[in-house]
Amino acid sequence: MNTNSSRANAGAAQAITVTRVNQTHWRATAENLVVGQADASERPDGRTFISVDAWTDAAFDQLADRMLTDLDGPLYTLVDDTDPALLAKWQQHGLQPRRREREYRLPSSGDAVGAALASPPAGVTLVTFGMADETRLRGLDHDIRREVEAASGWSSMPAEVLPRPNGRTVIDPSRYAVAARDGRYIGLVRVTGRPQQPRIGLLAVRADEQRSGVGRILLALALHAVHERGVDAVCTEVDETNTIAIKLLEKFGAQHTGTASELERSR
Amino acid sequence: MSHGIEVKGNVVECLRSATFRVTLDNGHVVLAHLSGKVRKNYIKIMLEDRVLVELSPYDLSRGRIIFRYRT
Repeated sequence: MNTNSSRANAGAAQAITVTRVNQTHWRATAENLVVGQADASERPDGRTFISVDAWTDAAFDQLADRMLTDLDGPLYTLVDDTDPALLAKWQQHGLQPRRREREYRLPSSGDAVGAALASPPAGVTLVTFGMADETRLRGLDHDIRREVEAASGWSSMPAEVLPRPNGRTVIDPSRYAVAARDGRYIGLVRVTGRPQQPRIGLLAVRADEQRSGVGRILLALALHAVHERGVDAVCTEVDETNTIAIKLLEKFGAQHTGTASELERSR
Repeated sequence: MSHGIEVKGNVVECLRSATFRVTLDNGHVVLAHLSGKVRKNYIKIMLEDRVLVELSPYDLSRGRIIFRYRT
């Protein structure tokens, strides 16, 4: 344990001691009681996300101060937009919003699903969940990720779709459905989450096949599959600047259920 | 050094500000907010979820959700 600790007054004549327990964990104590903890963890994309859980504002401030002093480089955290107090606290410590992510709830049935499935794009065939050839699926996933890296990059993507260590991105092929044209895989959709609370984890189409209705039919296929399992809705997240994706979701009756801000300390 | 008391429970109501009403296994009902670690990992808490709550040492009617069990 690192014994380099800082002390300060908690405001109510209560001394708080902050201790760095290890490289990624800090603890605040007062009168032999744990009053807060802070954590730093690295995402698969290499970015470090931090969090503070404290029972008092004083403990929060001291943990945040200490962690932000101890750690170099850019740091990130997430704050739900319904929690302005937490947002203000992090802004006081120098973190600023850099992007926002909207959360949606999509009904698994409806006219849009039926209409999309009834009129797929010309020449496009669908390979439903668990039926895709794994080698070609991994090839499609790899190609799409290369296209993303060459274009906007991953930093504005929801965590769900970020690259994994060792290039392992297709963890469970049974969770994917695929669209194909002339035998070539051109788009995929992944449904993750728990059986009764599924999520659209990834919906992606090759760059040269975009804007031709492939995403629409894949989303319809995913919703239909969820509905067939007796589940009435799925959730998903999308960057709020991704207006094309948001419009697509809204066509399927998506309800905006929340927004989270990603905050950054850049230095 | 004393850590907070951890108790299992079920989410019975989703409130604003990432706060939830949780009925603990001992029958008590607490207001629990989402812990930073849970939020940071994009874990969604929904109605009827089984969760682990750490109670506040200052107010046993409040806590934070530190883990969501798979169901």
